[in-house]
Amino acid sequence: MRRLLLPFFFCGLVIIIFLNACNEETIKYQSYYSSGSALYKTHCSNCHMDDGEGLEALIPPLTDTTFLKNNREKLACFIVYGLKDTIVINGKTYDGVMPAETHLAPIEIAKLLTYITNTFGNNQGIYELSEVEKNLRKCD
Amino acid sequence: MKFLKYITILSISTLLFSCSQNGKRLPFLGEMQTIDRMEGGKLVIDTFYQTIPNFSFVNQDSVVINNDSLKNSIYIADFFFTSCPSICPIMSKNMLSVYKKYKRNNEVRFLSHTIDPKHDTIPVLKKYANKLGVEGTQWSFLLGNRDTVYNIARHGYMNYAQENADIPGGVEHSGYFILVDKDRRIRGAYDGTDKQQVENLTNDIDILLNEYKSVKK
Repeated sequence: MRRLLLPFFFCGLVIIIFLNACNEETIKYQSYYSSGSALYKTHCSNCHMDDGEGLEALIPPLTDTTFLKNNREKLACFIVYGLKDTIVINGKTYDGVMPAETHLAPIEIAKLLTYITNTFGNNQGIYELSEVEKNLRKCD
Repeated sequence: MKFLKYITILSISTLLFSCSQNGKRLPFLGEMQTIDRMEGGKLVIDTFYQTIPNFSFVNQDSVVINNDSLKNSIYIADFFFTSCPSICPIMSKNMLSVYKKYKRNNEVRFLSHTIDPKHDTIPVLKKYANKLGVEGTQWSFLLGNRDTVYNIARHGYMNYAQENADIPGGVEHSGYFILVDKDRRIRGAYDGTDKQQVENLTNDIDILLNEYKSVKK
């Protein structure tokens, strides 16, 4: 009986991993993340750079996990309508203007935010389309 | 025996050094003109390379920068504007890495010409320089009449810049870094958005500085 325990345990582990990989949620997350990565290259990386580090005191980095978490509901608005306010990122003040990306569709924003909030040291899970749509109605 | 060893090492290292840097020279870019003349009954051919035309612009500290202020420096020139959402931030980041390498070496200077003089006034340029972490006049952000700047971009630096309402930012321009020697001649052009080419630029700066060192000797 004891000899069987280890193989049994191993098989169980394989099944769990297999199920996890095929989980619908995971597939959705992965698809959002990879399209988000391509969208980031086209629309964001010119300023925020490939590594999300921004540019000195001119362009803020995307590495401030706390800021992203606290402003999660405003992120979609920032992208669509741009940003003129002074913000504090990683303890540094940024007062430049972020241009508006009004041409992006809500689904593209969901993918972009999924990518950004799960890269550059961030790990905040999927950003759902429904979440984007709800938040966009609340923009100032 | 030991003495012989030292001699061998010494001669090999001298040989290596003389081969690696001193021998290499950068090409001259742009249009070339030759003029034939007779000197003492012999035909002499003089070669004239394209040079940067006269200019006079004002930098972020309201200091006039012209050809005269650069006569003892090689310099790297580019064209940008502070509110540019496309290639400029990457260009600035790459230029900054070159600037950091030669910081406080006044033999290497940097000229970034704004192509949006309406918006990029001197205080705006000053703020941009400060935020980028640039001090002093080694890297000058230059303000000049719009057409004069567009003209020197095209005819001086073989670059281009023009207004285009259809693209984000409203002005389009090429992203080249142009390397100019102390005699106003263009010695290299590098894609300022490409990391590898920017690395080539720093290599070429060293080669160019070396050309002047060997001339001095």
